[in-house]
Amino acid sequence: MANPYLVVENLTKVYERGQVVALRDLSFSVEKGEFLVVIGLSGSGKSTLLRCINRLVEPTKGKIYLDGVDVTRLSSARMRRVRRRIGMIFQQFNLIDRSTAIGNVLTGRLGYTPAWRALLGWFSKADRDRALANLERVGLRDKAYVRADQLSGGQRQRVGIARALMQEPELLLADEPVSALDPATSHSVMQYLEQMNREDGVTVLASLHFLSLARRYGTRIIALKDGQLVFDGPPGAIDDTRFKEIYGEEAEEVEVR
Amino acid sequence: MGTRGGWAALRRRSLSFFLDWLAWGYIAYTVMYLLNHYWYTVYVDWYGTLKLPSWGWPLVVLGTLELAVWSRALGRSLGLRAFGLEVTCPSLGRRILRAFLWHVSVLPLGIGVWLGRGEPWHDRLAGTRVRAVPKEPERPGRRALATQWGAMAAVLLVLTLWLGWLIIGINLQVLGRRAPWAAGIWRQMLRPDFRYFLESDPAFALRNLPFSILDLMVVTIFMAFLATVLGAAVAFPLSFFGARNIMGFSPVGWAVYGLTRGFFNVFRSIETILWAVVFAVWVGFGTFAGVLALTIHTIAALGKLYSEQVEGVSPGPLEAVWAAGGSRWQVVRYAVLPQVVPSFWAFTLYRWDINVRMATVIALVGGGGIGDMLFYYKNLSDWPKVGAVVMVIVAVVWTMDYLSGRLRERIT
Ligand SMILES: Nc1ncnc2c1ncn2[C@@H]1O[C@H](COP(=O)(O)OP(=O)(O)O)[C@@H](O)[C@H]1O
Ligand SMILES: [Mg+2]
Repeated sequence: MANPYLVVENLTKVYERGQVVALRDLSFSVEKGEFLVVIGLSGSGKSTLLRCINRLVEPTKGKIYLDGVDVTRLSSARMRRVRRRIGMIFQQFNLIDRSTAIGNVLTGRLGYTPAWRALLGWFSKADRDRALANLERVGLRDKAYVRADQLSGGQRQRVGIARALMQEPELLLADEPVSALDPATSHSVMQYLEQMNREDGVTVLASLHFLSLARRYGTRIIALKDGQLVFDGPPGAIDDTRFKEIYGEEAEEVEVR
Repeated sequence: MGTRGGWAALRRRSLSFFLDWLAWGYIAYTVMYLLNHYWYTVYVDWYGTLKLPSWGWPLVVLGTLELAVWSRALGRSLGLRAFGLEVTCPSLGRRILRAFLWHVSVLPLGIGVWLGRGEPWHDRLAGTRVRAVPKEPERPGRRALATQWGAMAAVLLVLTLWLGWLIIGINLQVLGRRAPWAAGIWRQMLRPDFRYFLESDPAFALRNLPFSILDLMVVTIFMAFLATVLGAAVAFPLSFFGARNIMGFSPVGWAVYGLTRGFFNVFRSIETILWAVVFAVWVGFGTFAGVLALTIHTIAALGKLYSEQVEGVSPGPLEAVWAAGGSRWQVVRYAVLPQVVPSFWAFTLYRWDINVRMATVIALVGGGGIGDMLFYYKNLSDWPKVGAVVMVIVAVVWTMDYLSGRLRERIT
């Protein structure tokens, strides 16, 4: 049997500032095509975990194999080549406000753009067409030349998705992609992720705040508590006891419809 | 208490103590100066000399030390306040005991502090404790002046003003006495002589070239323009080396950051006028020296402002470009630049204002420009012509100010 697509082994992250142990000896693996949802209270280490995988955050200890390659040992130049296959979308969208939607989407292509072209801002015709096609796909073709700060939250996150699509990713990291959105918009954004997962075969790792969303979209759920893995299994397996384990005794489950 | 925490706490305590000592020393010095001024000497020269017998100085040093110790033991002194510390204490007797014990514990080479392991002897034995003031709002009803530190601060302020008045030699009588004479000059300046506005003044010849007021004003604007553009062009790339978030935290990053920021700070603290002196000696009097001086200062000043803007960008977009596989300079080009360009423009325009104003007077030290003419006429006491030049300068500076203000509004 082939190795799993992504393997995380004994991953530990200690932030030097404040000596915070954000992840403790974390191990799990992900098969190609899974939609893995990471849940946990805020501060449990979800963002840190996702950022260790594309090394926006340097892991302190442990290994991360992506397609059999240990990314923790890659030089920064080789890491960049790996990163361009990993799309990422963010809780706060991380768009450049003063730039247009298409300007933001095109930055997703930077990993593939020759240095001099990127310096001058000359993206190829193919990239521009691709950007428009991806905006079309997230239903924002008509907003292509609108400044990002003129868009609503949901629209901004969809620009973020289009930006990630530009990378033609095989893995998508989504750090609380819908936490800043209202419930209805949340579902529309999550559906785009689901579509990427099902139709393009993109492996998705998404951290989510609400268990109901996790159950609805995840093919598997892992839960973190104080940087440790406290659950790993199918969405159906999280019952009331499990829930209390993850979120604490006082927590009540909130439904997002 | 961890060793590191212990050290930091000890450092804070010592620094706050030295601040108190310094404050009392300053108060003592000022009081002595004033006593000397009003009682002991009839005539005080410009700087006023302070006369003390040789045994007086050790006395002052020890006396102020005592004052520092007692003021800290008996209440919240200025030094304690400045470092957010306070002395907690069960009773007045304990406080007095603490002040006495301090001598035993600290004076013999700080023995009680070293051996006390985080809690010096004088605190242990007196049952007092120095701690960071908990972050709760100050008790209402206690005005700053009613506290010891407030009183100390007030005394410092009053003494400093008093001393300053004496040292500067403020003399209001002169101001009144010579007012009529000055008014004569003002009257002449207000009847400006614009004869040489367009036509060049044959008497005023700079390097054998005659100039009119307009000629030199244009030259001055060019100086300011050139200095601003060149300065901004150099400051722009440099500013990224002076930004923490771009340089990262590697040793090389720190070194480059430190050097760049150091360069900005040192070169900025030397005023344009001083740079003009340097360059006037180097390349000779004239506009070239003036432009160099303006440029150097512009680089340093804009560099610092730009760097701070770069450091203030929101990190999200940077993260996004990194995540997409962007390189360091792509991050700068696509995530930092779009965020800082508007404020870079605003600062540059603002600097343009400053440079225009500076260029008009830089001739005072050999920097060339309209100021040459201004000081030439001033030395001849040709006040109507001085008036004409000043009016042109005012008009130009005001116009440039207005224009750059309007531009800034449109950009941001
Ligand atoms: N840059 C950082 N420096 C220091 N501590 C951090 C940093 N980022 C996160 N942490 C700490 O690491 C822990 C995990 O944070 P995070 O991964 O952001 O959790 P989550 O995304 O689940 O809310 C928290 O205790 C947080 O305070
Ligand atoms: Mg987070």
